[in-house]
Amino acid sequence: MRILMVEDEGKVAELVARGLRAERYAVDVASDGNAGWAFANTYDYDLIILDLMLPGIDGLELLRRIRKKNEKVPVLILTARDATASKVENFEAGADDYLTKPFAFAELQVRVKALLRRGPLTQNSVVRVGDLEVDRLSQQVRRAGKRVDLTPKEYALLEYLATQPGRVFSRTMIVEHVWDQSFEGLTNIVDVYVRHLREKVDEPFSARLIRTVRGVGYCLSDAAAP
Amino acid sequence: MNPRSIRFRLTIWHACLLTAVFVVLGTLLYIQLGNYLEDTFLDTQSRRAQQIGATLTLRAPNLDPEGIARELTSIYAPEHSNRFIRITRDNGSLLYISGPPNDQSFDPREVPPVEPSPRREFTRKQEMPGGPPLLIAASKVATPGSGSFLVETGVSAAPIETMLSRLLVLLSFGLPVVVLVAAGGGYLLVRRSLRPVDEIANKADIITQHNLSESLPVTHTGDELERLSISLNRMIVRLDDAFQNSKRFVADASHELRTPLTILRGELESLAQEERIPAPERERLGSLLEEAERLSKIVERLFALSRLDAGEARTQWVEFDLADLAAVTVEQMRLLAEDRKISLSCESVEKVHIGGDRARMKQVVVNLLDNAIKYTSEGGAVRLKVSVSGPCAVLEVTDTGVGIHPDDLPHIFGRFYRADKTRSRQPDGAGLGLAIVKSICNAHGGEVEVESAVGRGTRILAKFPLVSRTTGPFRSG
Repeated sequence: MRILMVEDEGKVAELVARGLRAERYAVDVASDGNAGWAFANTYDYDLIILDLMLPGIDGLELLRRIRKKNEKVPVLILTARDATASKVENFEAGADDYLTKPFAFAELQVRVKALLRRGPLTQNSVVRVGDLEVDRLSQQVRRAGKRVDLTPKEYALLEYLATQPGRVFSRTMIVEHVWDQSFEGLTNIVDVYVRHLREKVDEPFSARLIRTVRGVGYCLSDAAAP
Repeated sequence: MNPRSIRFRLTIWHACLLTAVFVVLGTLLYIQLGNYLEDTFLDTQSRRAQQIGATLTLRAPNLDPEGIARELTSIYAPEHSNRFIRITRDNGSLLYISGPPNDQSFDPREVPPVEPSPRREFTRKQEMPGGPPLLIAASKVATPGSGSFLVETGVSAAPIETMLSRLLVLLSFGLPVVVLVAAGGGYLLVRRSLRPVDEIANKADIITQHNLSESLPVTHTGDELERLSISLNRMIVRLDDAFQNSKRFVADASHELRTPLTILRGELESLAQEERIPAPERERLGSLLEEAERLSKIVERLFALSRLDAGEARTQWVEFDLADLAAVTVEQMRLLAEDRKISLSCESVEKVHIGGDRARMKQVVVNLLDNAIKYTSEGGAVRLKVSVSGPCAVLEVTDTGVGIHPDDLPHIFGRFYRADKTRSRQPDGAGLGLAIVKSICNAHGGEVEVESAVGRGTRILAKFPLVSRTTGPFRSG
């Protein structure tokens, strides 16, 4: 998997590239719009991560050019502008997803993975983590063969964590995904729901599956807690 | 009429000054005229006395009283012209005295004899019993052979008194009329020239930080008021600049902080998940990360506020049911309240339609409920009510929490304002939640009110204009 990262802020580019390389992606970094266009025009990428504020060719203009050349490559926008108007503008220009700075790297990882999975890779309807089974078709949860009854919100939360077992999800990501934008800033609601979820999913059993990563968020994993 | 207004005070001063000037002038006129008339009358009389004296000198050797009387009557006819003439000898005996005048204004025989005087000619004002005084001129005449005489001629002062009393009547009736007319005119004039002040004050009342680009009316009269309104307008422009600068600063600063925060968070995040780092250090990194996250939240909220200040709420304007929004939000937050054993209830009337940005309005409900739950202790109650009052939709959140001290009440919607120290320990709060509520409300043409009693609870009311139902059957969920 080859990713192009167009970002003029050297440290951000380095950080993202390092993280993505650790995930065994091949990452090219372009530090301005012109270099970005040169890379995008020369190679075929599986994903392009694009900062909007760029010297040289402006981010949106670059996005339009990329779309003209290649309709399918997923583009993830990084932006410091998060006004609703510019969101709409981004999607109209052909972005597949966007992230507002400052973002959590965990969030970027999830989105990158989601964007790369689009297309041929179909997901199994049943996710298994340890002895936990989440059936996304029937929306049922079993642990060690026993059925666990969850409220719809609890189920939505668990299902979200189960999309990428082992991956840490930030509270903000969870709020945005399970609730909606207006709950922004109310991340304590996540803690309450996670606690309820644990009471039902973890406490009756010996192994803990829902892990807290301090300062980052939660993850669903059967790896032994450190 | 306001007795402290400039109009009123100027008019009163004006009237008082005018009255004083008139009284002084009238008094001087009265006295001067009286004196002048008396002098003129006396002057005439003393000339007559000299003429009579000259006649006596001519007839000096044989002065018979009858001859004198005849001659004086034929020349002066004192009775017809209401005059008084008396000629007295040196020894005090009378040579001649005129008869009673036709108008009976005085009796010549009642005029007392003159006091001896060393001067040859002198005048006096003789008070008469039961009548006007007489103005008398006296002249001493020495005749060859017949000794010397004192000739006195006089005239009644009645015409002078009549004239002066008429003047007095004129002044006492004229003065109030003149003062009234002048004061009324002055009032109108002052009111007219002060009307721009009313206009400026009315306009200045409706200028707030949100419409600083408007200016005060300028009257092109070239007077002090024009200067004042121009100066005020310049001040408004400077204020506007300062406001714009500070808004731009907040927007720019929160924008500029994003990139370093991204780097900070990203690096900390990857370290916090680094398996090679021992758990205690990772814990500390997690703590750092929490602070970085809080910082990000503050930056985001500041940015949201600066966008609201710039009036960006209208981008997603739809019509929606506030009652429905409130009910949905309460359900979503119920667990948060139950977690703290707080009862959360919601009551509302059917369909309260308002216009606005639904997501932002939801943020208002969320922030208000979150605050109420945060500051209510276990076992308390939080109640949300949506109702209609006149042309307004009212969103009301009542809690049985700690309450807000009266000193803090005016400030709780300020940015970064902390009501007390216990509140500041809340890890999540950035001190911007209520500021955002207020900004969103203002952007929707609404307002927020708060009532609170320490120890008993707080009630926050947010009011928004209702959408008139005549605009169409549009409904959005």
